[in-house]
Amino acid sequence: MAIVREQRGLARRAFGPTGRRTTVAPGLILKLVVLALLGVLIFAPLAKTVLETLAADAVGAWGDVLYGRLAPNLFYRPLVNTLVIGVAVAVGTVLIGGFLAGLVVMTDMPFRRTIGLMATLPFMIPSFATALAWGALFRNDRLGGSVGFLEGLGLGIPDWLAWGMVPTLVVLIAHYYSLAFAVIAAALASVNSDLVEAAQLAGARRRRVLFGIVLPVVLPAIVAGASLTFAGGVSNFATPALLGLPVRMQTLATRLFGMIETGQVERGYVIALLLIAVSALFLWLGNRLVAGRRSFATITGKGGRTKRFALGAARWPLFAVALLICLATTVVPIVVLIASSLAPSSAQLFSNWTLHYWAGASNAAIAQGQAGIVHNADFLSATGTTVGLGLVVAVTGSLLGLVIAYAIARYRGGALTATIAQVSFVPLLVPGIAFGAAYIALFGAPIGPFPALYGTFLLLVIAATAYLVPFSVQSGRAVIQQVSGDLEESARLTGAGFLRRMAEITVPLAIRGLMAGAILIFVKIVRDLSLVVLLFTPVTPLLSVVAYRYASEGFMQFAHAITVVILAISIGATLLANRLQARSQPWMQP
Amino acid sequence: MRASAVIAAPMVAAAMAATAQEPDLDAMTVDELLPLAQEEGQVVVYSFTSRIFRVETAFEEQYEGIDVVPFDISSTEQIARLRAERQAGITNADVIYISDAPVVFGELLAEGAIVRYVPPRVADRVPAAFQSPLLAQRQSTKVLMYNEEAHPDGAPVANLWELTTDDWRGRVVMVDPLQRGDYLDLMTEAVLRSDAMAEAYEALHGEPLTLDDGVGSAGEQWIVDLFANDVVLVSNTDAVNVAVGAIGQDSPPVGFTSYSDRRDNEEEGWALQLANDVAPAPGIVFPAVLGVADGAQHPAAARLLIDFLMGDESETGGAGFAPFYVPGDYATRTDIVSHPDAVPLADFRAWRIDPAHTAEIRQEVADLILVLQ
Repeated sequence: MAIVREQRGLARRAFGPTGRRTTVAPGLILKLVVLALLGVLIFAPLAKTVLETLAADAVGAWGDVLYGRLAPNLFYRPLVNTLVIGVAVAVGTVLIGGFLAGLVVMTDMPFRRTIGLMATLPFMIPSFATALAWGALFRNDRLGGSVGFLEGLGLGIPDWLAWGMVPTLVVLIAHYYSLAFAVIAAALASVNSDLVEAAQLAGARRRRVLFGIVLPVVLPAIVAGASLTFAGGVSNFATPALLGLPVRMQTLATRLFGMIETGQVERGYVIALLLIAVSALFLWLGNRLVAGRRSFATITGKGGRTKRFALGAARWPLFAVALLICLATTVVPIVVLIASSLAPSSAQLFSNWTLHYWAGASNAAIAQGQAGIVHNADFLSATGTTVGLGLVVAVTGSLLGLVIAYAIARYRGGALTATIAQVSFVPLLVPGIAFGAAYIALFGAPIGPFPALYGTFLLLVIAATAYLVPFSVQSGRAVIQQVSGDLEESARLTGAGFLRRMAEITVPLAIRGLMAGAILIFVKIVRDLSLVVLLFTPVTPLLSVVAYRYASEGFMQFAHAITVVILAISIGATLLANRLQARSQPWMQP
Repeated sequence: MRASAVIAAPMVAAAMAATAQEPDLDAMTVDELLPLAQEEGQVVVYSFTSRIFRVETAFEEQYEGIDVVPFDISSTEQIARLRAERQAGITNADVIYISDAPVVFGELLAEGAIVRYVPPRVADRVPAAFQSPLLAQRQSTKVLMYNEEAHPDGAPVANLWELTTDDWRGRVVMVDPLQRGDYLDLMTEAVLRSDAMAEAYEALHGEPLTLDDGVGSAGEQWIVDLFANDVVLVSNTDAVNVAVGAIGQDSPPVGFTSYSDRRDNEEEGWALQLANDVAPAPGIVFPAVLGVADGAQHPAAARLLIDFLMGDESETGGAGFAPFYVPGDYATRTDIVSHPDAVPLADFRAWRIDPAHTAEIRQEVADLILVLQ
C-alpha cells in the first residue's frame, strides 16, 4: 500500500498536474516500482537459489549437467522431450482453447453456456487424474497388473499409445487447454462489434473478418495463453512421471524432482535454472512474434455488444465436436477421480465401491483403522484455511497482477518492460520446494523493523501471491491491453491520480479478465502442494497437506477423496464467479 | 551484513545454551526429564510419516501438560526446511524423525543441524550399529516381491542374476532409482556387496562373472545388465505393487517394493509375497532415525518424546511404538518381537545397509544409472 501511495506521489511529481511530460519518460517510475516489487518477491528467492549452486562445493554441478558423460541423460535428452512437450502443448491448447472460445463467444452455437463452463473445468482437475484416466482406458501389459479397458476388449494397444510422449501430450493438452480458453475467451468477448460490423458493411467476408480483425485483436491473448500453457507443460511433473517413466522418458521436471529427491540438490537446482533460462528464451521468441505490432484498444468509450456469427447448418455438428472435447476432458477424469476415492482396490476402480473413505467410522479391517475424511479433525479447519488462503491470494494476486500488467501493456517496448514481462513468468518454472525454501531463508528472520514472518499466514499469502504472478499477469495483460488509453488519458487530464484511474476506469473495464485470472489463482492455490509444503504449520493446515499426509501412508483413497473436495471447491468458486459477473459476460448471454 | 549479524546472534546463544544443557539431559531418566518437559510444555516434531499423529494422541495421554506439535513432511522436504530455517536463524523443530539416512548423515548431521540422543532406558537393548551416528528407531525394506497367486509354490526367482536373463526381460518393475532415494540405496547396496553378487553369479551360471569394459564391480555389472534387460521403471511404489501384486494375472512381473505393503494385500486385491530365499539377498533393510534438533527450544520434552517413540517395556513396544508395529517393519530394539505376520528379523535375509558406507559411493552409483538410462 505504502509503495503504491508513494508511487502515486512520484507520478504526480513526474507528470505534473496536467499530465504533461516533464523530464521522466512516461511510465518509467511505475515500471521501476513494479520491478522493485518483482525483485523482492521473485528475483530475490531466485537469486538465492542461484547462489546455492555457486557455492564452492556445488559449482561442479553446472559441469555435470552441461557437459561430460552425464550431460546427455541428465540434461540434453530430457531438454528435448521438455521442449517438444512445451511447444506441442502450447500449440495444441491454443488450437483447442481458441476453437472453443471462438464458438462460445463469437457464434450462435447451441448450449454455449454449458460448453463455456465445461471448458474451464479441466484445469481444476489435477493432471494426475487425467493421466490415470488415460491409463484406465489405454494401459497395456508393459507394466503388468491389470490392463486398461481397450486392451481388456482384446485390442492390442501398442507401447507408444499407452506410454511415453503421445499420451503425455494428449493428457497435458487436455489439462491445460482451459487456461488458453479462459484467456482467449475473455479477450474475444471484448472485441468491439463496431469493428466487425464496419467490416461487414464494407463487404468483408467472414474469413476476412476473422483473420483481418478478430485474430489480430486477440493475438496478445493467444500469445499469453500459449505462454502459460507452454510453461505449464514444461514444468508439469505428474503426467510425464506416470506415463513416461515406464518407457524411460524423462523430462527436465522429472529429472529435477528426482535429483532433489535423491539428495543431489545442487544438480536439481542447476536443472531448474536452465529450465527457466530455456523457457525464458522460448517465451521471449514468442513475444517477439507480436512485438512491433500495435496493440488494439477495443474497449473504448463507446460500448457495443459482441456480434455473433450465424453458423447455419454447422451449428449442431460444431456443437457435437465441442461437447465431445469437453466430455472427454472433464467427465472422464472426474469419474476416474471419484471412482478412485470409492474403490478399495486401485487395480479395479469400478468394483466394490464404498463410502468408507469419505464417511466411514474407524474399522480395523479397512485401511488400518483410518476413519473417513469427514472424521478427520484437521479436515474442516483445513478446508477453511484453504478457502481463506485462496480468496486472499486471489485478491492480492489480482491486484499485483493488474499493476504489473498495466505497466507492461500501457508502456510497451523498452528493456524494462521486457524484463518485467520475463521476470513475471519465472515463478511458473521454479520448483515449489526451492521457492519455499528460499522464502523461509529470506523472510523467516526479522528484517529491520519487520517481525519474523516464519509460521504466519502472512508468509503463506506473500509467497503464494508471488508464486502465482504469472497467472494474474497473463490474464490481466490480455484484457488490459484492450482498454483504450483514451479513457485513461481523459481522466489523467482532469487530474485523476494513478490509483483513481485504476479504480474507476481500468479495473471496471478489465474486471472480466481479472475475474478469470482470480479464479485461476484460487484454483491453483487450493490444490497446489509443492509451495506450501515447506511453509505450512500445524496451525494453518491446508487441504493439499492433508491429502499429502494420507498419500504418504499409502491411503490413496482418502487422498483422492480430499482431491474431489478440492475439485468441488474449485468448481463452486467458478460457478459463483460466473454468477457474480454474469452481467458483464456477453458470451454467457442468450 | 547487518542481517547476518542479526541472524547469527540468536544462533550462537541457542548453540551455547544447548551445549550447556545437553550432558545433563542426555543422562536423565524419564522421571527426571518429565518435570522439565512439563515446564517446557510443548514439543515440535518433524516426521516423515503421518503415523506421528497417532503418536501425538498416545503421548499426550501418557504425559499430561506436554503438547506435541507434529509436522508431517517428507525426508527431502525436512532437509530443505531445516536448512532454510538454519539460514534464517530459526529453530522450530525439537525432534527430527526422518528416513533417507545416507543423505541425512551426509548433510544434516555433517552440518550439525541434528544431534544424537539415545535414551538411557533402552541403550542396552539397541545394537551399537543402530545407536551411531544417530539413533535408529525401526527398519523398513525395499525387497524383491512376487505374486503368490500366480506362484503358489514359492518365488519364481531364486537368484538376483535371473532378473538379467531373457526370461525376465521387461518383467522386472521398480521405482526409478533416480526418483526415490531408497531405491538408489538398494542399487548402491548391490555394489557394496559385490563379492556376494559375484558368488551368486557363479552359483547360477556355473562360471565366474566377467565384467564388461568400464564396469568396476559385480554389483555394477548387475545394474548394467538389469537395465539392459529392459527393467521397467515407474514413479512410485504403489505402481510396483499393482503391477506385481494384482490378482488374476497369468504371468505377472516381479518387482522391488516395501515388504510392509503386503499388509494391504486383501484390501487392494494384491497377492504380494516376499522372495526371501533369493540369492544373495532379496534387497535391503534401512533405518528410520531419530534425533534432537540443534538448539531445540524444548530439549527435555524432545528427549522424552524420543524415549516414548522407542517403545515401552512390553514386548510389542506399547502405545509409543504401536503405529510402527506392523508386519514388514522391524524395531531396532532387540527385545521387541517381530510382528507375527512377517518373517522374523532373524530369518529375514535382506542386507542391512550401513548409511555412512552407502553415502560414500551413492553418487557414483547414481551417475552409473544415469548413464544407463
